[in-house]
Amino acid sequence: MNDTVFVLSIVAAIASGTTLVLVSVGEILAERSGVMNLGIEGMLLVGGVTGFWAASATDNPWLGLLVAVVAGMLFSLIHAVLSVSLRVNQIVSGLGLFILGSGLSAFLGEIGSTPLIRRSPPRDLDPVFPEALSDLPLLGPILLGHDPLVYISWLLVAAASFYLFRTRRGLAARAVGEDPATADAAGVPVALTRYVHVLVGGAFTGLAGGYLSVALVGAWQQGFSGGLGWIAFAMVAFSGWRPWRALFASYAFGGLTNLGLTFQLLDIPIPSDFLLMMPFAFTLLFLILFTSNTRLARKLGAPAALATPYRRESR
Amino acid sequence: MSDLSFRSPAGLIAFARSLRIEPRPRQSARFKLALLLGVLAGALVAGAVLLLVTGFEPIPSLRLMITGGFRSELAVRRTLILATPLILTGLAAALAFKMVLWNIGAEGQLYLGAIFASGIGVLFLEGRPTWIAVPVVLAAGVLGGGLLALIAAVPRAYFGTDEVTSTLMLNFMALFVMNYLVLGSTSPWRDLDRPNFPTGEPIPEVAELPLLWGTGRRGLHIGFLIAVILALSLWSAIRHSPWGFEVRAIGDTPKAARYAGINVTRKTIAVLVLSGGLAGLAGGIEVSGVLRALEPGALSIGLGYTGIVVAALARLNMAAVIPVGIVVAAITNSGQALQTLGIPNSVVVAFHGMLLLAAAAGQFFALYRVRVVDRSGSGVAPEGKAI
Repeated sequence: MNDTVFVLSIVAAIASGTTLVLVSVGEILAERSGVMNLGIEGMLLVGGVTGFWAASATDNPWLGLLVAVVAGMLFSLIHAVLSVSLRVNQIVSGLGLFILGSGLSAFLGEIGSTPLIRRSPPRDLDPVFPEALSDLPLLGPILLGHDPLVYISWLLVAAASFYLFRTRRGLAARAVGEDPATADAAGVPVALTRYVHVLVGGAFTGLAGGYLSVALVGAWQQGFSGGLGWIAFAMVAFSGWRPWRALFASYAFGGLTNLGLTFQLLDIPIPSDFLLMMPFAFTLLFLILFTSNTRLARKLGAPAALATPYRRESR
Repeated sequence: MSDLSFRSPAGLIAFARSLRIEPRPRQSARFKLALLLGVLAGALVAGAVLLLVTGFEPIPSLRLMITGGFRSELAVRRTLILATPLILTGLAAALAFKMVLWNIGAEGQLYLGAIFASGIGVLFLEGRPTWIAVPVVLAAGVLGGGLLALIAAVPRAYFGTDEVTSTLMLNFMALFVMNYLVLGSTSPWRDLDRPNFPTGEPIPEVAELPLLWGTGRRGLHIGFLIAVILALSLWSAIRHSPWGFEVRAIGDTPKAARYAGINVTRKTIAVLVLSGGLAGLAGGIEVSGVLRALEPGALSIGLGYTGIVVAALARLNMAAVIPVGIVVAAITNSGQALQTLGIPNSVVVAFHGMLLLAAAAGQFFALYRVRVVDRSGSGVAPEGKAI
């Protein structure tokens, strides 16, 4: 029963959805504080290339993930400086990060005596639960058979949600995203809050990139993220800037990205290009349907000061 | 001010606190040029640091990057050939951005323009006279890009659907359609005489763009002239026509524009479709002027995204898009020469990113100036020095 199409599809959806979970929750944290980071695709690629490099050099996947986190943070620091301190247009800065990240990851992957393209995959992450548990019918593969990052992502979602909606600091951060002038008057350090949130978002995205290259794909190739970052960006809006909803939306989209596997298992021939296209088409469709209903869109509620630089002196 | 010591953290913090950011009133033409050069220099320094850290000689590589695109007749021609689509996608981005419409979709619009142009060429234009075939192919490109932009423009105009996400999704969808037509199927776009190595079906010779300089694939086609004329006309239209005034008005304050009786909804659709049409024209020109077939690999090299770099460096000035497009094309083309130094071609893309980030930072210095103010005194120091 554990190798039915149904179970295999869910397992695959969770595996590929985990990258989306990490990225979208990271972006939710940044956007809740009022900073939109369009550069996530670039941060994913940078996290992926540095993580794979460290993991294959040390044969330690965890070290790879750590390096990916640091790289993601450093990379997002560029965006924080530009959008918070220099108040530049966040779309332009984010796109710059995307282009720099794609170029940088391709460049770093091709240099050196043994370029990353030709390196063998690093050691796998060990599964958390013993085989006896993960072989249980139905629940085993769906809940207990995953690699550690899946469980870590659940913890991070819970932590992010608790932080945003159940702590004083989370409230202060959301205030910065809604009305920075008022938050500033109440003594909340606007710039610091935004810096921290952008960097933490970068850490989440870097981790996702490392997870993708080190654990999921187990190889590095140019542009290996294949647009996942952009879908995660859309996921933030679909989830109404709420981490738990982002988790389930990500698994749904993880399922969509794996429809190819499902169709293969069911022996339905569909050109691979159309399968690849599907998540993007669905994102576009959902986006238009969501916004065409103004009541729904208003209920979702983007942070009011999203993508708006804060100028204290023009308060 | 000069007694501030940067050696201690306390001194640094005191210095940071003494900085005041204030709006910059006017910008002279000299200031704008200096800013552009500063932005270029900033990106060059960042590029040099990257090369140094990764163990390459930065100075010869950067010299090659700057001069490589101009060092021979052939190099200049290749630069101008590549500048053609970059000018057009740069115009596409600049026009939409001017109205604060973030059309990030020039990439996909270029693909769809190329698909339309090559499709019309392969299916209908065999044996027609050149004076019909060439305009039809280019018009098909405009139509393809415009249609793709329309998919994002209508929901944007009526529901306020975020055009950043929608145009991005359309980029990927157009890419997969293009790949499917040539690499994944036996469509009319694919050259069926070469079953083992999938390539595009060549368009009829009559649909190829006339050449201005040189011969064959390395000849400069009239597309370059079209791009330059379009850039100058758009520049003049934005500055002098009522249409351009409305675009600028909506870009500055959409609410006021609406009160003034401008139909913002219609204008949003028109500008996004025109922007998409410009990118689609770039695709049509690449097909009929350079590739002579739908070649997914040669078309998906980020021409649309690089157009955003061009537009940002030109600070959305349509006329400035021409020289900036040529410079960026020269830098892009130097990738091949850099490979002779053992540096992967992809460093050029990283450099594009640095250019865009530097241009973004330049926006700050265009809008603001930083003053050093003595906080220990009365609060405001009139003699504060502008940096």
